[in-house]
Amino acid sequence: MSGSATSMPHRSSEPVQAKHGFWRRLVRTPNGFVGLLIVAVLIVCAFGADFLAPYNPTKMGSGPRFLPPGGTYLLGTDEFGRDMLSRILYGSRLTLLIGAVAVGISLTIGMLLGMVAAYCRGWIETVLMRSSDILFSFTETLIALSCVAVLGPSLQNAVLAVAIAGIPFYARTCYSASLVEVSKPYFEASIAAGAGPFRMVFHHLLPNVLPTMIVVATLGVSTAILAAAGLSFLGLGAQPPTPEWGYMLAGSRDYINRAPWLMTIPGVAIAITVLGFNLLGDGFRTALDPKERDR
Amino acid sequence: MLSFLAGRLTMGFLTIFVTTILVTLLIHLVPGDPVQIMYAQSQGTTPEQMEEVRKSLGLDKSIPVQYAMFIGRLLEGDLGNTIRGGQPVLDVILQRLPNTLVLAVAAMAIAILIGVPIGFFAAYKQGTIWDVTLMITAIAGISMPHFWLGLILLFYFAVDLGWLPVSGGGPLNLVLPALTLGLSNAAIFARLTRSSMIDVLSQDFVQTAIAKGLPKKLVLRRHVLRAGLIPIITMMGLQFAFMMGGAIVVENIFSWNGVGRMAVEAIFQRDYPIIQGFILTFAVVVVFVSIMLDAVYAFIDPRIRRSQT
Repeated sequence: MSGSATSMPHRSSEPVQAKHGFWRRLVRTPNGFVGLLIVAVLIVCAFGADFLAPYNPTKMGSGPRFLPPGGTYLLGTDEFGRDMLSRILYGSRLTLLIGAVAVGISLTIGMLLGMVAAYCRGWIETVLMRSSDILFSFTETLIALSCVAVLGPSLQNAVLAVAIAGIPFYARTCYSASLVEVSKPYFEASIAAGAGPFRMVFHHLLPNVLPTMIVVATLGVSTAILAAAGLSFLGLGAQPPTPEWGYMLAGSRDYINRAPWLMTIPGVAIAITVLGFNLLGDGFRTALDPKERDR
Repeated sequence: MLSFLAGRLTMGFLTIFVTTILVTLLIHLVPGDPVQIMYAQSQGTTPEQMEEVRKSLGLDKSIPVQYAMFIGRLLEGDLGNTIRGGQPVLDVILQRLPNTLVLAVAAMAIAILIGVPIGFFAAYKQGTIWDVTLMITAIAGISMPHFWLGLILLFYFAVDLGWLPVSGGGPLNLVLPALTLGLSNAAIFARLTRSSMIDVLSQDFVQTAIAKGLPKKLVLRRHVLRAGLIPIITMMGLQFAFMMGGAIVVENIFSWNGVGRMAVEAIFQRDYPIIQGFILTFAVVVVFVSIMLDAVYAFIDPRIRRSQT
């Protein structure tokens, strides 16, 4: 993350131009283009589920049971005769919501902790960063599992658990990005000019670490979606009859012989979604920092 | 080298210390009365029995006292008894922990054996069609949920082809779970190795070695591989922790009788002593493995090995 936008944090015509070039550069990278396309299709599915879905996603017996894909039920039906296409479409809404909420929470808290640690230094820095190091070494799966153990299994709790589990990662990343900024001359100059802590953190630090954090958060959406789907797969997240993809996969295990499409379709849906955000994150990184292109 | 290891050791102890505090607090963070929640599923429990459990868990005392009691029992090797069955938690965990460790180590071996050569090859062929294809495969591999990969492997190898057993505890049963966990992490290792090797390849000493006319194979083996593997070893500790985390899900797909499956069952049954024991065990294993790997790293990297302090 160097680019002209970051070294010139103040209002001028330059960031606007950089932003313009940013989207052009993003679309020119193969990863960014495909990622953007996938995410765009997902957003359309999520918002348009009400119009696009041919049947009610949770109504049992809206068709015959175990109908293979094709015909009027394009993606077949499940063990209760529910239309798979409708369930997948409504599931996309749920999945994007889960990813956005989980990452939104962990990004906000993590960034705040990371910036405060880098700005304050001293014992605050030690305590905050050591504790996030310790939590980070537990891995997100364990933290999320512990949170669900405390809160009890439900989709909301699973999302909260994934959000809490992600905080140490965002705190660490934001902290190291902030350290780079804090050591730059403009930062000291602003302090010398009399800027207070609030202004320093939100006016100078935040805009400059944001590009890095956007890349990390985009990649983080895929991690969060995977983690939440994993919890639902274990039965610790979404409860029936929610059309959540991880939960749908878990249910498919019992009919693996009879109706393999019940396993294939939600799996493909999760994989494509996660791939989309991974590619988009990669594309963002390349578009923000052309030096990273070869990595 | 010693001060480096001492630092890592301190951090490890600190991690376990923090875990003991979190584990003690865990039961108090449960919304509502934990004892009532624990017994919500079994109807015939009298209030007297519940009071007894409350006492045996020490929930009638203040939190610092509870913590002291917990540490005291812990030092005697007592993690309490399970709510269902009343067995010692430590026995239940120790009985299943080897299964999880075997799975994690086997998966790690698969991930390294597949991921590192692929990453190395891609770095060597950087920018060619090989590199692009391999890295697209890797990013697709990372995006694939491991619980889905597990189901697919289960479907093809166990159900469809009937080559391997669906579930159980024998050595053949290890193949599918280890493959599931290993393959999804191989992609991560491939990406790590590639970027690490590319870093090394562009460094001056490699350019010098090639420029002075050393055979390319020798340069790759002696200079690039050795230097490029060091960052990968430092990442292995974290990767092992990821394996342990992934094992929780994979064990449940294949009914592999490890601590991860036990933990998920315990969450459903609200068996808090098991959950506490599981989190503590997980932390101890992860800390132990990462300290061991740090020791290896300190020994391999001459910059640390030869540091005097």
